[in-house]
Amino acid sequence: MENEQLTVQRALAGDQAAMRALWTRHAPHVDVVVRRLVGHDPDLAADIAQEVWIQIFRALPSFRGDAQFGTWAHRIAVNRTLNALRRTKRMASVEVDVEDDTASVEPEGERALLAASIEEAAAKLSPGARTVFLLHDVEGYTHEEIAAELGITAGGSKSQLFKARAKLRVLLAHLVDAPANTRFKPESSHVAPLY
Amino acid sequence: MSHLSTDRLAALGDEAPTPVEAAHLAACEACAREQAAYRALVTMAHEERGAIGIPLTRFEAIASALAAEQVVAAPAARATHRRARPRTFLRTPMRAAAGILLLAGSAMVGRVSAGAATLPFGERTVATAPATVPRADAPSFASLEQARDAQLHSEALYQQAAAYLAEHDTTGVGEGSPVAYRSRLAALDQVISTTRQAMRQAPHDPVINGYYLTTLGQREATLRQLNTVLPASLRANSF
Repeated sequence: MENEQLTVQRALAGDQAAMRALWTRHAPHVDVVVRRLVGHDPDLAADIAQEVWIQIFRALPSFRGDAQFGTWAHRIAVNRTLNALRRTKRMASVEVDVEDDTASVEPEGERALLAASIEEAAAKLSPGARTVFLLHDVEGYTHEEIAAELGITAGGSKSQLFKARAKLRVLLAHLVDAPANTRFKPESSHVAPLY
Repeated sequence: MSHLSTDRLAALGDEAPTPVEAAHLAACEACAREQAAYRALVTMAHEERGAIGIPLTRFEAIASALAAEQVVAAPAARATHRRARPRTFLRTPMRAAAGILLLAGSAMVGRVSAGAATLPFGERTVATAPATVPRADAPSFASLEQARDAQLHSEALYQQAAAYLAEHDTTGVGEGSPVAYRSRLAALDQVISTTRQAMRQAPHDPVINGYYLTTLGQREATLRQLNTVLPASLRANSF
């Protein structure tokens, strides 16, 4: 298997086959990050993904090879997507308070199959909380990195994350509550404590 | 000690409890279950990190845009600048390709869910689906690029059709029991898990992609159907 650094070098020299190879190998991972952060707007996600890849190839001369190409491209994807979302004003108020109800845990009777997946559940969060959750729990960013990326404090990032998790915990109760053999039986799962 | 706060339980999704909290968790079943749920949530989120999807982009469009900026030479095959997503219309071969994808995907879900009487498609469809596409209508492609174009358009069309059907198709709604719908959901979950793993190995495989997308669409539709038969207190607010 060809060394990826060599592929990058060939791409830097203008070899389109090498560029295509990089895109083919990494687009399934890079584009999914864009799609995840953008949420339910496939057209916007596609536009931003194209911007991301143009930026990746534009910035290729600055790729030093210290990190994996995929990691480097991933960072560009996150950064460009957040910038693009700011432009579209979807992230205009990242530090908005998460709705009061995000901290509550609903009683068992109100639970249902509210979301099919983390992606679908996360779409129900406010833009700020969703972004913090995706960056921290899915993409693996630290609170300090999120704070720097979003222009908020690390404490604010933590607060948003915990509120996001609390809401997702309810939305995904059918997936996180019960063991596999009792999944989809809300009547048999526990009643969460009310605080 | 009183119960742990929701924020604290959420934090324990990936943090270690203090000794006092650990002692409480050892004694309080409700808080321990909440902590376990948050840990499961964080684990699910971590697993999403490795997820992949169908690329949103086309290399030709990226290369053309870069060529326009003189970052790279223009693609030899097409020097004109193209939009990334010419989705305004679909040519007949693309429609046919989308139809094949839909049939194949439906057949797959039908096979997986065989035995569930509420399914809108059955064994006959499974057995005959490939043969129902007349050879004369089979799309032909002049190049790899054209085939890739058709594939991407077909996938986009399929996703749009699945989303529309999930929202508007009331066929069979209310006919099944919650148990039947949940059984179907469990089967679909297994298929999604399997195809997702396969996509990690072969992200561009059109068959695996088709199965994966079809299953996601059917899961969405089944969730909606389930919602129609659940008591009001158990219904989801939205999907």
